[in-house]
Amino acid sequence: MTDTLLFTNIDEPGLNTIDVYEARGGYKQLERALKMKREDLITELSGSGLRGRGGAGFPMGKKASFIPKGDMQKYVVCNADESEPGTFKDRELIQKNPHQLIEGVIIAAFAVDATITYIYIRGEYEQQADILDAAIAEARERGILGENIFGSGFNVQLELARGAGAYICGEETGLLDSLEGKRGNPRLKPPFPANEGLFNGPTLINNVETLSAIPSIIELGAEGYAAIGVKDSAGTKLISVSGNVERPGNYEVALGTSSREIIYGLAGGPVDGRKIKCWFPGGSSTPVLTADDLDVDFDYDSLEAAGSMLGSGAIIVVDETQSVVELAYKLAKFYSHESCGKCTPCREGTRWTFHMVERIKEGTATPMDLDIMAAVQEQITGHCLCVLGDAMAMPIGSLIAKFRDEFESEIEANRNERERKLAAEFAAAEVEIEGISA
Amino acid sequence: MPRPVEKLVSLTINGNEVQAPAGMMLADAALKYGDVEIPVFCYDAKIGPPVGACRMCLVEIEGIPKMQAGCSVAVTDGMVVHTDTPTVKAAQEAVLEFILINHPLDCPVCDKGGECPLQDNAFGWGGGLSRFIEPKRHFEKPLALSPLIAIDRERCILCYRCVRFSQEVSEDDQLVLEERGADTFVTTFDGHPYVAPFSGNITELCPVGALTSRPYRFRARPWDIEQAGSVCTLCPAQCNVSFSVRDERVLRVLGRDHEGVDDGWLCDKGRFAYQAIHVDARITEPMMRDGGELRPVTWDLAIETAAKLLSHAGANTGALVGGETTNEEGVLLTHLMRETLGSNDLDSRPGGALQLELLRALNAPTLQASVPDLQYAHAVLVLDCEPVDDAPILDLRLRKGVRHHGVKLLIGSSRPSALDERAAHSARFAPGCGEGFAAALAAELAGQPSAALAAAAGAEADDVVALAAQLREAGEEVVILWGERLTAGPRRNEGARALLNLAEQLGLDGRDGGGLLEIPSGTNSRGLREVGVLPNASIGLGDAPVVGRDSQQIGEALAAGELSAVILLHSDPLLDQPSSALWQQALGKASAVIAHAAFLTPAVLEHANVVFPAESYAEKEGTVVHPDSRVQRLRRSISRQGETRAEWALLAELAARIGNDPKALTCSMVSARIFEQVPFYAGLSLDLLGGVGIRWSEREAAASFPSAPAAPFTLDAPPAAASPNGLLRLGSFRSIWASPEVEASPALAFLHPRQRVEISPADAERLGINHGENVTVASNGDSVTGLAHIRASAPDGTVFLQTSIPGESAALLEGPLVEVKRS
Repeated sequence: MTDTLLFTNIDEPGLNTIDVYEARGGYKQLERALKMKREDLITELSGSGLRGRGGAGFPMGKKASFIPKGDMQKYVVCNADESEPGTFKDRELIQKNPHQLIEGVIIAAFAVDATITYIYIRGEYEQQADILDAAIAEARERGILGENIFGSGFNVQLELARGAGAYICGEETGLLDSLEGKRGNPRLKPPFPANEGLFNGPTLINNVETLSAIPSIIELGAEGYAAIGVKDSAGTKLISVSGNVERPGNYEVALGTSSREIIYGLAGGPVDGRKIKCWFPGGSSTPVLTADDLDVDFDYDSLEAAGSMLGSGAIIVVDETQSVVELAYKLAKFYSHESCGKCTPCREGTRWTFHMVERIKEGTATPMDLDIMAAVQEQITGHCLCVLGDAMAMPIGSLIAKFRDEFESEIEANRNERERKLAAEFAAAEVEIEGISA
Repeated sequence: MPRPVEKLVSLTINGNEVQAPAGMMLADAALKYGDVEIPVFCYDAKIGPPVGACRMCLVEIEGIPKMQAGCSVAVTDGMVVHTDTPTVKAAQEAVLEFILINHPLDCPVCDKGGECPLQDNAFGWGGGLSRFIEPKRHFEKPLALSPLIAIDRERCILCYRCVRFSQEVSEDDQLVLEERGADTFVTTFDGHPYVAPFSGNITELCPVGALTSRPYRFRARPWDIEQAGSVCTLCPAQCNVSFSVRDERVLRVLGRDHEGVDDGWLCDKGRFAYQAIHVDARITEPMMRDGGELRPVTWDLAIETAAKLLSHAGANTGALVGGETTNEEGVLLTHLMRETLGSNDLDSRPGGALQLELLRALNAPTLQASVPDLQYAHAVLVLDCEPVDDAPILDLRLRKGVRHHGVKLLIGSSRPSALDERAAHSARFAPGCGEGFAAALAAELAGQPSAALAAAAGAEADDVVALAAQLREAGEEVVILWGERLTAGPRRNEGARALLNLAEQLGLDGRDGGGLLEIPSGTNSRGLREVGVLPNASIGLGDAPVVGRDSQQIGEALAAGELSAVILLHSDPLLDQPSSALWQQALGKASAVIAHAAFLTPAVLEHANVVFPAESYAEKEGTVVHPDSRVQRLRRSISRQGETRAEWALLAELAARIGNDPKALTCSMVSARIFEQVPFYAGLSLDLLGGVGIRWSEREAAASFPSAPAAPFTLDAPPAAASPNGLLRLGSFRSIWASPEVEASPALAFLHPRQRVEISPADAERLGINHGENVTVASNGDSVTGLAHIRASAPDGTVFLQTSIPGESAALLEGPLVEVKRS
């Protein structure tokens, strides 16, 4: 690994404590940032080319520049509701280096003049939440959070809020509703959170990894950070590699590294020399790529050109021993379970898809159902209130498009299997009837 | 926030150029200005901002790559919209296919069938085919969401309308969604019944048959009924309604969206009390007292007897006129009284007469605020009234103003208000001290000392200062929504002067978007005053040739034997008048009591000699005047039930029998006479009123309104509120549910109130009273019993009782102080 920014010293014992963090130069960048002018800070963030690491990839500095000026209460919210299947990078960042995140949150808050900040963490991350709580307490005790931090006259408070186990609360407006104590449903946009977010105030909301990268940007300067990676994909990215690989885990790479290098070089590729059937480049909600796409560079534009997305940067590798039907089943089950139910296409489309895949497995589906299933994915895509519907429709749509033969042969095989079973049951039943009549 | 100024923008919809106001949602603009329907389910402008949930309204807008929800995109200049492309068509079919996969399609047995937006949209925009063969969602059904509403969760398409109504319109926060995704369902916390003053609106909002009215359930199909538009006269809000009529029976009441009156909502009383039209308890034939009991008689006998009794009493006749009387009936009654019997003792105000010049000043057209002003004003001061009880639908308008238009809501009342939590500031004063409170506020606004006045009114001096500061800073457009209570009682004239001074301090005369808006005690109180049903005014609020006795004096004169007969036109003084004791005595003494009534309320039951059946509001024709000066027309929607006859005709006939025929051949003849004789109604006609009515104060003829003295008035110091001194101050209120119609309607009977004794926790503790136990409230030997209701927000030192409850009304007690103890 060449360039580590987020994962520098990541495995050092005690890095999660403020003493070790400060000994490694922690909170120095915050101190520097507090001496900068707000506009300069935002220019710096914009110039770094950092794009949102949560999934949408929106330029972070641009988002910060949308926050209006004025006396109203502004907020920074950190999205730590890491729920995308296959994604576990934020967990490691929080668990091992919580102060880096806190430092990033405070710098972002200073940049947009927000005095109230929240970290919204998924309910299942209990250990990580405890670690964050302890780190926040330490920062408060040192006067890094609170009033007049570093004598700058800037006041900031940070609260940790825990989710209750809903994927939709990782969607930024759903998260805001949940944070407000409401049912976590996505809101209609516009207004965007930058104008009307938490408690109707201007809100900057970013992913853990995005905010954690901010101290590095201050340290390296916009140009220094932008020099890492490739055009329009600046900096380093944490890649969570999971699935059928030798060495699953989080890897920090400069954007633009070849996908083959990540999957085979870092993660060791599938076991026993098996072939890759398909892989998700950015979490389970991105369209799948195949073995033919392994030489695509891992950056925002190249993956988009290949017909998928960088998403959260979570690579899930599926090798040739896996069934695509089983894969589609798990996807559909997950997304229909997690659909909030607010908009029609997602609520009904995910449930319908799940039932159709279920029928393929049961052996009661026909190839015609495959057409319906493909059509349903198209009926969902682009018609929903938020992206959750698309998050199922895109990968399932791509699976059907790329592995239609396999779906069809499995439909056929399962039908035959079921018919055999029924025939056998029938035969057994007849024997019994004969037995009675005899 | 002042009313938005309409700026037109040009956009293109399906190739046609359309002009629409900027900021209007595309779905509305397309329908209203472009004659293009964009189908919707979840969107309805009156619920509030769009949520974009159903996705039925997807359209293509040039320059935006993704399809947009037409309900939630505001029109802008140069926007190019397509609603008829193959892409849009495919999206509409997709969404409808999705919506229908979990819908049971039990239209033949569904109440909504035939008038169902889902049917309409499926027919108009759907693909006509479903490919869904999986099992549908199942729920237990139908369930009672409340005694009034049935819920069928299988039919629900999760459009959120009902939940948004509950959370954002009526703000009762009772309806919620539970579970997630396709398992989501509408419910209440813990499954409690959804009982709220406006709950019935959700049955009308529901775009499918998921929420249906239980009283209407399975009573008719849309092709069995006819819709008849009229006005609800059960309270002064005069909501515009549409009766669903089948075989001359009203089976349902729906709203008739009128932005200037009701904003498209109805209260549950207005929605369900139609049942009282068709109950056995209703009086539908003339009756006479025979051997101490009322027995049915023929019309001839009843009219003959009444005419004889009235002729005999002659000028010694008094008349009380209730709020449900139309202008036409009012005018014919004045003809009967003044021109036929020679009596000027008639009154439509329960509190006693107000000086005519003050009445004119309060009703001056330049000082009248409209209902929509409540929504757009900078500030609204709710003074000595409780909208949800007194004119329920205005409660919703005020909430809307606060929520969507930044209206600053200020409250000055004796009893805690349902609107307190939405108010920028709420102040309390002692019951009956509205005058002192208004005077204190006016003084504070004028920069004069107010503390002593506040103290006399039993209010906190700081509250008065704070309210005045809020009023001063709010902006120019201020509406004072005030209750008739302020100008009733012994110091009614002083109350009126204090209010006029307050209005003058705020510069409300002639102010657009601001002014006074009264909530009177009776539905048509305003109209009855304007046509001269007052002891001291003639038609058009002119000077009365001879000033007669007011309601209070009529009671006293009857008791003293100076008057011998009394006509009760839709009025039961034992329920409506402030003192029951006086009227018990007065009616007991009267030799003739002629009542026009729909129900055997106490005065009718115990005292009437002749009872004429009163028409219900669905049977009536004529005109009424909304408190904001809107003249509205009642249209007969069903034939009169039983033997009931037109009351205007009856009043005309009575006068004719006595010897002075008013020559009224039709009701519209009388209306025309009113429009001729009331100078400020000049030029009005029934045709002009049409279905939406006209605010006379906005017309040119308003200039001929009689002139009135201008504020400021010199006020004498109001008397100090009684000090409780171990006892409690008596306050009273009339619940929205305290009416004979509610009691008589089977569906609503569960809401008909029992007396409850509202006291503060501190007083309850001092008196050793527990919540829910029986307590007795007594003064001067009279007593009323009720259930103790400890209310955290109730002011210490005051007890509140309800009026208009037969047998246990607060009117049985004489204030200002009462004793409260456990029964």
